[in-house]
Amino acid sequence: MDWGRIRFFLSEVWRNFTRNLAMQFTAIGTVAVTIVLLGSFLFTREAIGKIGDDVLKRIEISVFLTEGATPAATRSLAARLSADPRILSVEYIPKAVGLRRMRERLRGQIDTSLLTQNPLPDALRVRVRNPDTVHAVAASIRALPLVANVEYAHDAVEKLLKLSDVLGRIGLGIVVLLVLTAAIIISNTIRLTVFARRREIAIMQLVGASRLYIRMPFICEGLLDGLAGAAVALGLLELARVQLLPKLAVALPFIPMRVGTVDQLALALELLGTGAAVGIVAAWLSVGRYLRV
Amino acid sequence: MSLRSRAENSCNAIARACFRASGPNADVISLRGVTLVYPNGTRALDGLNLEVAKGSFVFLVGGTGTGKSSLLRLLYREQRPTHGEVTVDNVRVDRIKRSRVPHLRRNVGVVFQDFKLLSDKTVWENVAFALQVTGAQTKDVIRQVPRVLDLVGLAHKTRMFPSELSGGEQQRVAIARALVNNPKILLCDEPTGNLDPANANEVMDLLHRINLKGTTVLVATHNALVVDRMRRRVIRLEDGTIVADEERGFYHLNGNGANAAGTPAPLRGSHGLGTNPLLLE
Repeated sequence: MDWGRIRFFLSEVWRNFTRNLAMQFTAIGTVAVTIVLLGSFLFTREAIGKIGDDVLKRIEISVFLTEGATPAATRSLAARLSADPRILSVEYIPKAVGLRRMRERLRGQIDTSLLTQNPLPDALRVRVRNPDTVHAVAASIRALPLVANVEYAHDAVEKLLKLSDVLGRIGLGIVVLLVLTAAIIISNTIRLTVFARRREIAIMQLVGASRLYIRMPFICEGLLDGLAGAAVALGLLELARVQLLPKLAVALPFIPMRVGTVDQLALALELLGTGAAVGIVAAWLSVGRYLRV
Repeated sequence: MSLRSRAENSCNAIARACFRASGPNADVISLRGVTLVYPNGTRALDGLNLEVAKGSFVFLVGGTGTGKSSLLRLLYREQRPTHGEVTVDNVRVDRIKRSRVPHLRRNVGVVFQDFKLLSDKTVWENVAFALQVTGAQTKDVIRQVPRVLDLVGLAHKTRMFPSELSGGEQQRVAIARALVNNPKILLCDEPTGNLDPANANEVMDLLHRINLKGTTVLVATHNALVVDRMRRRVIRLEDGTIVADEERGFYHLNGNGANAAGTPAPLRGSHGLGTNPLLLE
């Protein structure tokens, strides 16, 4: 290892970088905004997808019974349903149990002590063996006596997934535009550096520096812009996760915020990689255009 | 000085004649039928033929726009000829790929009228720069830089910035930088153009010493004083062609070299440009 050479190279990169700090900050800021949006978009999409998967996996049909259903009649209904080969299990949930479960689920989020009487009907929770049959099973249950209403998550899940798909497309469009903006700003920054260093570049060419050697400090400058922007963005995203998400969870108690299930390290690496890639590509194109070497 | 250089010059001429006879390696620079037409239609060089022997010292003279700088630019591949062959150190530089140009440049040092030094680097850093950006090892930088700075007589001013030096000293730094990669050829485009006569002479003496060490030196100039003092091979260009080529020549050649060596050199300042070019600058 020739440390003198490495030090000289790094000092050249640093000289480039600090020559036009205002412009570097602009570039870094643009990258940061882009990455923050990309990050929150990826995070939301993954979270929604996870919720959808989660619900889909345990496709359940909630069968709400009429007020007049006696426990005996309910049990015989449950037994009849259990005999259906498409049905995996049937659970009888009397209204008292239903209320207790709801209180448990909403504990600390909503003050359920205000409920003086039980608004819930008796219910059966039916699980099907195959999610594809859920429509047919639900329809046949709906036709049975004592059944007031049938609800199952399938429709909601489909809507959720469709929403996430649409959000995904819009988000992707915005991110692509922002990435382009960031790339243009980085390439402009590097053009300014090339201009500021045209004497050095002319001399490098004159004394026989290779094309790669002349380009390398500029590529590193782009890389630095991209990485610094991504690092700033990661900081902001982490701040949002710590400060904002708990508040969001309180505000929307019925949506399960499964933050833990999103792979945050992979996401962080993806975002850093995106920043670096944008920087390098923008720098490479810019150097190719403005540095005829 | 004049006697010594005259003796050397004739040695050079003899050496050149011998080399020429010995085959294609004799000339370090060779141009055959070189024509250079710029995109705007200017015909900078027109069917030029030229051979320069290894280790020689050559002046290119002629007024502005006669093709001196264009000729030099062909040699370090800043410019490609429209037609013809340009050979430098057995390499057809008109044909080499762009990726090979850096290797050519390490073998050809170039010096300009405006020095082209980096004002935010010291003398030492300016010279070291040429080695560092060509990927030299640090130990070579530490060995070579003091050697060339010593050669140009600036070993005591390594920590100074170009703005703290005289014009002559700045040009010597530029020469040191051109030499630090040990090139076989040194091209100088108006090296004394920005210098007063004393500094100009100092720089020419330095170029002379460098030539004595074996480096081929080409100097494009319209400084009649330095040309007449050195008495070396003088090639006169006019409208992109060579109109005169003489051993031990003067700035103002008489006709086709009939009045060449031996005749004393009167300084005909009113010839050509109207006044002594040196006084113009």
